[in-house]
Amino acid sequence: MKIHEQIQGAVTVLRPEGPLVEGDAALLKQRLMQSHSASLGRFVVDMSAIPYVDSKGLEALVEVTEEMGRSGQVLRMCGANKTVREVLELTDLASHFDHFEDANTAVRSFL
Amino acid sequence: MGTDQPPQPTPRRRSRLLVHGESVIASVGIALAAILLSVMAALAWWTMRSERQTLEQARIDQVQAVGHLLSQSAEAMLRNVGAVEKAEAESPPATPSNNTTPNAEQAPPAPGAAELSAIRRLVADAGEKYDLTQCRIVLSDGTVIASADPTQITAAALPDSWTRSRPFDDALPEASDGSCSMSFEIKVPGRGDADLEITAPTRPGRVRGWEAQAGVGAIGAVAMVCLLFVYRHMRHRVRALGAIREALLAIEGGETAASILQVSTDLGIEAKAWNEVIAAREKLRRQDVAERAREAMGQRGEVRGDLAAACDAMSQGLLLVDEKNVVSYANGAAAVFLRARKEDVVGAPVDRFLQVDNVLRAVKDVAAGSVRRRTVVDVERKDDVPGGAGVLRFSVRPVRRDDSASAMVTIEDITQQKVAEEARHAFVAHTTHELRTPLTNIRLYVETAIDEGEQNPATRAKCLNVINGETRRLERIVGEMLSMAEIEAGSFKIKPDDVRLETVFDEIKADYQQLATEKKLSLDLKLPPKLPVIRGDRDKIMLALHNLVGNALKYTPEGGRVTIAVETDGRQLYVNVTDTGIGIGSEDMERIFERFYRAKDPRVAKITGSGLGLTLAREVIRMHGGDVTVESQLNQGSTFTMTLPLKAEAA
Repeated sequence: MKIHEQIQGAVTVLRPEGPLVEGDAALLKQRLMQSHSASLGRFVVDMSAIPYVDSKGLEALVEVTEEMGRSGQVLRMCGANKTVREVLELTDLASHFDHFEDANTAVRSFL
Repeated sequence: MGTDQPPQPTPRRRSRLLVHGESVIASVGIALAAILLSVMAALAWWTMRSERQTLEQARIDQVQAVGHLLSQSAEAMLRNVGAVEKAEAESPPATPSNNTTPNAEQAPPAPGAAELSAIRRLVADAGEKYDLTQCRIVLSDGTVIASADPTQITAAALPDSWTRSRPFDDALPEASDGSCSMSFEIKVPGRGDADLEITAPTRPGRVRGWEAQAGVGAIGAVAMVCLLFVYRHMRHRVRALGAIREALLAIEGGETAASILQVSTDLGIEAKAWNEVIAAREKLRRQDVAERAREAMGQRGEVRGDLAAACDAMSQGLLLVDEKNVVSYANGAAAVFLRARKEDVVGAPVDRFLQVDNVLRAVKDVAAGSVRRRTVVDVERKDDVPGGAGVLRFSVRPVRRDDSASAMVTIEDITQQKVAEEARHAFVAHTTHELRTPLTNIRLYVETAIDEGEQNPATRAKCLNVINGETRRLERIVGEMLSMAEIEAGSFKIKPDDVRLETVFDEIKADYQQLATEKKLSLDLKLPPKLPVIRGDRDKIMLALHNLVGNALKYTPEGGRVTIAVETDGRQLYVNVTDTGIGIGSEDMERIFERFYRAKDPRVAKITGSGLGLTLAREVIRMHGGDVTVESQLNQGSTFTMTLPLKAEAA
């Protein structure tokens, strides 16, 4: 899995590319944790290049959310496709994340 | 991935395994079919061989039985011949004869001739009826008295007596080379011995053999066709089962990802059912994850009090510092802002984690009770980690209690606000400048026209021309700002229509030719002989092109060249706007499409611009399903490429 990183204003936008499964989930989790401590939570996960997520991927996202929740922050993501959003909604996890239409909107939410 | 678990096979390898498994199953199927066919063929050959042996044995038995019967009949008849001759000798015939030798062979009719001819008939009949190659009665001296083949007969009548001149072959009948020969001994009392010799073909009739072979062949062919038919129908099933088997092995090997365990649904209902099972399993796992998440979140609420939980849910950092300058409380966010663990922060002296002098001073003053007002300090922090740099706002305020004083510090991350603020400032400055330039020009030329226009129509015309140009520029700037505002508000819409690209580029050339000539730039248009008509919003596409071409002219110094090259590959339209301008540095390359962003190059700062043009161009073209990209080298020039789909409907 390739994770593109871009800084928009003061916000880091991480754009993982490829399905979020198994080993990739661990990689993303590690990267998000790193970003969280580096940017004090000022980051967005752009899900637009993730075709699907399996339970390992969900677990990784939940763990990052839990970690961020300890400091009153929420994982902000954007651009998740229908498949991924459905999975999040079916598992009742959607309410644990902040989801935005696109990266610009997500970045603006930090204002 | 999964480098931390080397023994686990990678997902990629697994999926290859699944495909491999399917082909293994298919080839096993073919091998089984081949083995089955070989077994059938061998069985048919064996059956035919034993059938033939049985038939041969039956034939030998038949010939032997015929031989026995024939030899007994012949023996009886030859005895009879002897008896008849004796009777004739005792009572001579009515017609006296001079020559009455008992063995007068020529004398017709020979004595016992009737009996002998009966034997001959019997032998001939047997030979014909039982399909015997040879059937003859040979006296032991070698004289043939009866045969199925009349030409072999060497004696017309039975001699009186003879002696054995050849041995009697009493060997068991033996089948060799498709025929068998046998001999039977006949004793004629008073005369001598005779042999019945029989040779008969034992091989079954050719027609019969062919029939059997054809039958077996036909059955084999039908079986093969059936087998192929069944195989064709079963192949998918077998492949599905093979794929499922591989998936099961993968599960045993510790694979859990549903995406890898699923098999292609083209493989039939088994594959679909399997996928359903896997999907159900995945769903259960997800529910499990969700359950765990809920439990974890629930536990947090239960273990601590409501107030502590509420403080932890705050995105602002919160610190309480007592009069001894020791941190008595810190929430989660504060720990993150101080880059430390919450447990370490609570109970530690405040200066261990907070090393900013003026904040520390304020905290100490407030905690000591000497200062009673709120102090706000913005601290800029530098960081090597990308995205780490930022601005933190520390607000220090007193918390009054009867017996003691303490300070409450709230920490807020205001980096993004600062950045946005800067961008807005820059935008306002830029746009004011952008709007003022044409306005100043208009005012100047209007004044000139009023003063001199009456007398000098040429001046008036020139003034009006300039005013017209500046008004259009103003209109475009305001239009851009409005479009940007619409995009921001989400109300920006494109109205798709047929766009004739020929007129679009004619217009672009007309608009910029004069500017190019004034700046001593060469503006070249490289168009294909025939330009397609595309679907899109003409005004918005014009806006994007205006921005790209306008920028190229704006950032290219005198004497340079701007080329607009249009190409199409049947699916997409490419518009390359190439200039020999100042170029874009690598650090700016990614950011030039951001709103209000202007490159850090000092040469850019001298040229007016809102920092909106490229953002707008990209947004508008992306709404059409295309994109705007850039390639550039500092001081060499840039190429902006606009891609537009030819067929796709505008989004």
